[in-house]
Amino acid sequence: MLTRAFALFILALAFAPAHAQKATTLTVYTHPSFAAEWGPGPAVKEAFEQTCNCQINYVVLDSGGDILQRLRLEGKSTQADVVLGLDTATMETTRQTGLLANHETDLSALTLPINWQDPVFVPYDWGYFAFVYDTEQLPNPPKSLEALIAAPDDLKIIIQDPRTSTPGLGLLLWMRHVYGDQAAEKWQQLNGKILTTTKSWSDGYFSLFMNGEAPMILSYSTSPAYHMAVDKTDRYQAAQFEEGHYLQVEVAALVESSDQKELGREFLDFMLSADFQRHIPLKNVMYPATDLGDELPSVFDKLIQPEEALYFDPKTVSDSRRQWMNEWLDAMTR
Amino acid sequence: MLEVRNLVFAYPDQESPWNFDFTVEPGQCIAVHGASGSGKSTLMNLLAGFLEPQSGDILWQDKSLRHHAPWQRPMTSVFQEHNLFEHLSVDANIGLGIHPGLKLTPRNQQAIDEGLQSVGLDGFGKRLPGDLSGGQRQRVALLRAILRQQPVLLLDEPLTGLDSDARDLLRQLLLDQKARGTLIVLASHDDEDRRILADNIYKL
Amino acid sequence: MNNLAKRQQHSLRSHLTPGRPAPFSRPGWQLWPGFAIAGALVLLSLAGLGALVWEASLPDISQLWQSRYLRTVVSFTIWQAFLSVLLSLLVAIPIARILARQPAFSGRAFLLRLMELSLVLPSIVAVSGLVSVYGRQGWFTGFASDWFGASWNLYGINGIVLAHVFFNAPLAARILLQAIEGAPPSQLRVAAQLGLGRWWYWRAVEWPAIKPVLPGVAALVFTLCFTSFAIVMTLGGGPAATTIEVAIYQSLRFEFDSGQAALLAMVQLIICGFLWWLAARRGLTASLLPDRRVASHRTKAGSSLRARFADGTILGLFVLFLVMPLLAILIRGLPGMGSAFFPLGSFAVNPALLDATMRSLAIALPAGLMSVCAALLILACGTTSKRPAITRLTDVAAYLPLMIPPLVLGTGLFLLFRPSLGSSNEGLVLVTLINAMMALPFVLQMLKGPLGSLDSASRQQADQLGILGWYRWRWLHWPRMRKPLALAMAYGTGLSLGDFGVIALFGTPGQPTLPVLLYQQLGSYRMDAAAATGLWLVLLLLVLFSVFNRLGSPLHKTGLATKSPRSVPEPEHA
Repeated sequence: MLTRAFALFILALAFAPAHAQKATTLTVYTHPSFAAEWGPGPAVKEAFEQTCNCQINYVVLDSGGDILQRLRLEGKSTQADVVLGLDTATMETTRQTGLLANHETDLSALTLPINWQDPVFVPYDWGYFAFVYDTEQLPNPPKSLEALIAAPDDLKIIIQDPRTSTPGLGLLLWMRHVYGDQAAEKWQQLNGKILTTTKSWSDGYFSLFMNGEAPMILSYSTSPAYHMAVDKTDRYQAAQFEEGHYLQVEVAALVESSDQKELGREFLDFMLSADFQRHIPLKNVMYPATDLGDELPSVFDKLIQPEEALYFDPKTVSDSRRQWMNEWLDAMTR
Repeated sequence: MLEVRNLVFAYPDQESPWNFDFTVEPGQCIAVHGASGSGKSTLMNLLAGFLEPQSGDILWQDKSLRHHAPWQRPMTSVFQEHNLFEHLSVDANIGLGIHPGLKLTPRNQQAIDEGLQSVGLDGFGKRLPGDLSGGQRQRVALLRAILRQQPVLLLDEPLTGLDSDARDLLRQLLLDQKARGTLIVLASHDDEDRRILADNIYKL
Repeated sequence: MNNLAKRQQHSLRSHLTPGRPAPFSRPGWQLWPGFAIAGALVLLSLAGLGALVWEASLPDISQLWQSRYLRTVVSFTIWQAFLSVLLSLLVAIPIARILARQPAFSGRAFLLRLMELSLVLPSIVAVSGLVSVYGRQGWFTGFASDWFGASWNLYGINGIVLAHVFFNAPLAARILLQAIEGAPPSQLRVAAQLGLGRWWYWRAVEWPAIKPVLPGVAALVFTLCFTSFAIVMTLGGGPAATTIEVAIYQSLRFEFDSGQAALLAMVQLIICGFLWWLAARRGLTASLLPDRRVASHRTKAGSSLRARFADGTILGLFVLFLVMPLLAILIRGLPGMGSAFFPLGSFAVNPALLDATMRSLAIALPAGLMSVCAALLILACGTTSKRPAITRLTDVAAYLPLMIPPLVLGTGLFLLFRPSLGSSNEGLVLVTLINAMMALPFVLQMLKGPLGSLDSASRQQADQLGILGWYRWRWLHWPRMRKPLALAMAYGTGLSLGDFGVIALFGTPGQPTLPVLLYQQLGSYRMDAAAATGLWLVLLLLVLFSVFNRLGSPLHKTGLATKSPRSVPEPEHA
C-alpha cells in the first residue's frame, strides 16, 4: 500500500512540470491570516483579477518565517512571483538570499510613521506592538514599560518567545531600543511578572489570555479594533507606553526569477491602491499603509496613538539579533 | 512404510543426544514409551517437522521427508491438549483440517456433521472449544485428525487425563482407523492404551 | 463399522500433493514487502536528515558540551520527559488494573473512547482545556484554594508534567489494559482458585502480563514527552523550559541554520534511539513467552465492598482528570458552534467547515490505512525473518519516525524533492505519506502484541494443517486482530486528523484542513469560531473512535468465529 502510494507519488513528481502554471497566473506566497476566507486575500484577489485579466494563486505557508524558508529552499526554481507577508524582522535575511528583484513602485503615497525608501520591499500594512489588557481584570494598566517592569510581581503578563514568534522578537527589540545595554537587567526584573512565554501569539491569546489567565498579553496596538468592531466589546484595550512603541511593518516583494515580473509589479502597485488597502484595517487588523481617509473604520480612532515609533534598521536587527537573543536567554535562565 | 533412520537430536544444553531408529507398516501402531524427559514428545515433533534433526532421516514410502515442511508431510498430530484454535468454533476447527482456507463443499460440511454425531457431539458445531470439557475437546481434535485423511497419525498422550467413557470411545475410533490402514505412532505412558492399540512397542 | 468409517471408504488421500497452495503463502510475501517498506522508511528518514547536513555542513560538534544553553536544553528535555514518564506510568498502571478488574460497568466503553482521544487532541485545544481547569483562573485551582487553602501554580515543570500525563497516561493505560486482558486464562484460573489477595494477584497475574509491554510503553511515552514542543513552551513558564525540539525549530525557522538543526536532531535521535534499544532488548526476550489467548475471559470482579469502593474512587478521580478539560473545551466551543455551522443564520451549512472536514478526512483516512498496512507488513517481516539484521531493521524503522523531528524530516525531504515538487496536490500526497509515517510507531505498538500472540501450539497446528499465507491471516489472525486493528486504524487516522505541523510545512493552496482552519481563525482573532472548530474536531475524533470501535467488534455471529458470551474455564478432569 505504502510502496504503491509512494510509487504514485514519485510518478506524480515526474510529471509535475506537465501541468505547470498557466501563463496568466500570478503565484503569491503568503501566510494564513492573509489568505484565510475572511482575511483580505480573497477580496484582494477578486479586485485585482478584475483589472489584470489574470489569476492570483495563493500558496499559504505557516508564517513569514516559513515564506522565507520556502524561498530559500526553492531558490531560483521557485514558483513564487510575489512573496507577501514578510516583516521587518525577516526582511534583511530575505534580501540577502539575492532572490528578490527591485519593485519600481512609487512609494510617495505611504503614510508609515517612518520614512520608507526600500528598493526591494513594498510595505502593505503596519502596526505597533503593544500590551493588550483586559479592562475588567486590570482597570489601571501600567503607563510605561518602566512602570510595567517596576510593577509588583502579582501583575502577570503573557509574552511570546522571540525564538519562535514575531511579536516575541518585537518585544525583544522594543526592550533593546528603550534600554540599550541595560536590556538584560530589565528583562530580569520583568521576569517575575511573566506568567509564561508561549511559542506563538495564537497559543497565548487563545489558550491563556481569552481564558482569563493573565490580564495582559503582548500583542498589537490594533488588536482592540477587531474586538470593538466585530466582537462589539470595549473590554480589551491596548496600554499606551510613554517610551513609545516598537513598529512592525509587513512587506511584499517581487521574486527575481519570476517570468511574470510585469504582472508582479502591477500587483505591487495595486497593493498601495485603495482597492487593496481598504481590506487591511478589519480583515488584517493592522493600519493601512496609505491614507484611506474616511474609509478607515471609526474604531481605529479609538486606538492608542503612540508618541514615538521605535524602529531598528532591518540590517541592525539582522546583525545583532543572535547576540541580543543570547543575552535575553542568559538573563531569563540565570 | 514409515522408516525412522538413525534420527539424532539434542537440545543445546543436552549432554547425550537422542537417537531414534524404527520402522512401521501401514495399518500398524507403534507405541513409544519411556520416563518423562525420555524424548517422546521430541520424537513426535521431529516426525511432524516441528523440529529439525541434527542427522538421520525419515522416509515415507522410500522417499525422504527430511526437507519437507510440516504441511508437506503425510501426518496429523494430536497432543494431550491445546489441539484446537480457541477462538474458532468446533465446526471451523474441524473444517480447517479439511481445507486450510475453510472452503468447504456441502459434502465436507455433511462429513463434519456426521463425524460429530458419531463421536457423540451432535449439535456442538457452533460452540467454542472453551465451552467443552477436556474429553469433548479431544474428541473434536481426533475427529479433525481423522477427517483430514492423512496416512500417518502422531498421537502424543491423546487420552491422558480423560474419563473412562471418553477413553473407550476414542480408542474405538483409533482401532477403526488402524483397520482402514492408517499408521499410528502413539506416545503413551498408559499400559492399557498400549495393550489395546499397539502392535509394537518401542522403548526409549 | 460406524458412520464415520463408512465415509472413508475411498482410499487414503494421496499425500504430498497439497493442491492449490494458500494465496500469499510463499515466505517471501511475508518478508519482502515489509522489508522494502522498512528499508524505505529508514532511507527516507536518513535522507531527510542527510539533506540538511549536505546543504549546510555540520557545525562544530564541541558546542554541544561547551554551550551552557545547549547543555541546559538537553538536560531539561531529559528531566521533564523522565518525570512525565514516571507519573504517566504511576497513573496508568492502577487505572489499567482497575479497568481489568471491573470489566462491566456502565460508561466503561465511553471512558475507553475518551482515553483514546486524549493523545490525538490538537495540543492547542487540549492546552486551552487544561488551562481552564488547572490555570490561575481554573476550576480546580479555585476549588483547591477555597477548600484546602492550597495554592497551585500551573506554569513550570508542574504544568508540563500535568499536560504530559493528561496526554500519555490514558494511552499507556490503554496499552497496559490490553496486556492484562490478554493474560493467559490458565493463570487467571489458578489465581482465582487460590483466592489470591490483591498483592499476590498483582505478582502472579498482572505484573507478568504488564512486564513485557512496559519497556515499550515507557519508551513511547518518553519519546513523546522528549519531543514535545508547544505544550512545553506554553505551560513551561519561560525560556528555562526549552526542549531540543524548540531549539531545532529556532535554528530552522529563525536562524536558518540547517546544520545546527541537523546536529540537534542527531542528539535527539541518539538519546531516544538508545532508549528504544534498551527497551527492545528487555522487551524482546519477555515477549517470547507463549500465551494462549481466548476471546474473552472471566476476570475477578471486585471482591469486598471496600475494595470496590476504593476502585470506584480512584477511577472517578481519573475520569474527572480526563473529562474536566474536555468539558471546558465543550463549554468554550458551544457558543460559536451555531455560527460556525450556519454562518448566515440560515440552514445552509457552512461550506468552509464542511470542506475542511472532508479535506481532513481525505488525508487522514488514507494515512491511517497506509500506516496500518505498513505496520502489518513490517511486523510480518520482523517475525518471519530469521536474520537478526532484518529484524533489527524493522524495529528501527518502526520507531525512527518518532525520533526525527517532523520539521527536520519535512525540510530534508523538501530539499530532496525540491526541483520537482510542483503544485500543491503532490504536496498533499506527501502530507498524507508523512502523516502515515508519523502514526506508524503508535499503530505498531497497538498491533505488535496481538499479532505476535499466536502461541506455539497454534502455530504448529497451523503449519501442519497448511493454514498458511492469506488463510492464516484470515482464520487465525484476523478474528483476534479485529479489535486492535480497529483501534490502530482509529489512532492512525486520528493522529493525522489533528495534525498541524506536517501540513503547515508543505503549504496549502488556501484550502485548509480542520487544524489549519483552526489556526487561521486564531490568527484572525476569531476566537469563538476557533473554539467551535476545536470542539468540532474533538467531536469528530470521538465519532471516529466510536465508529472504528464498532467496526472492531462484530455485531452478530459470523457463523464460524463466534464471540463467546461466557467463556467458562474448562473443568479439570482427573
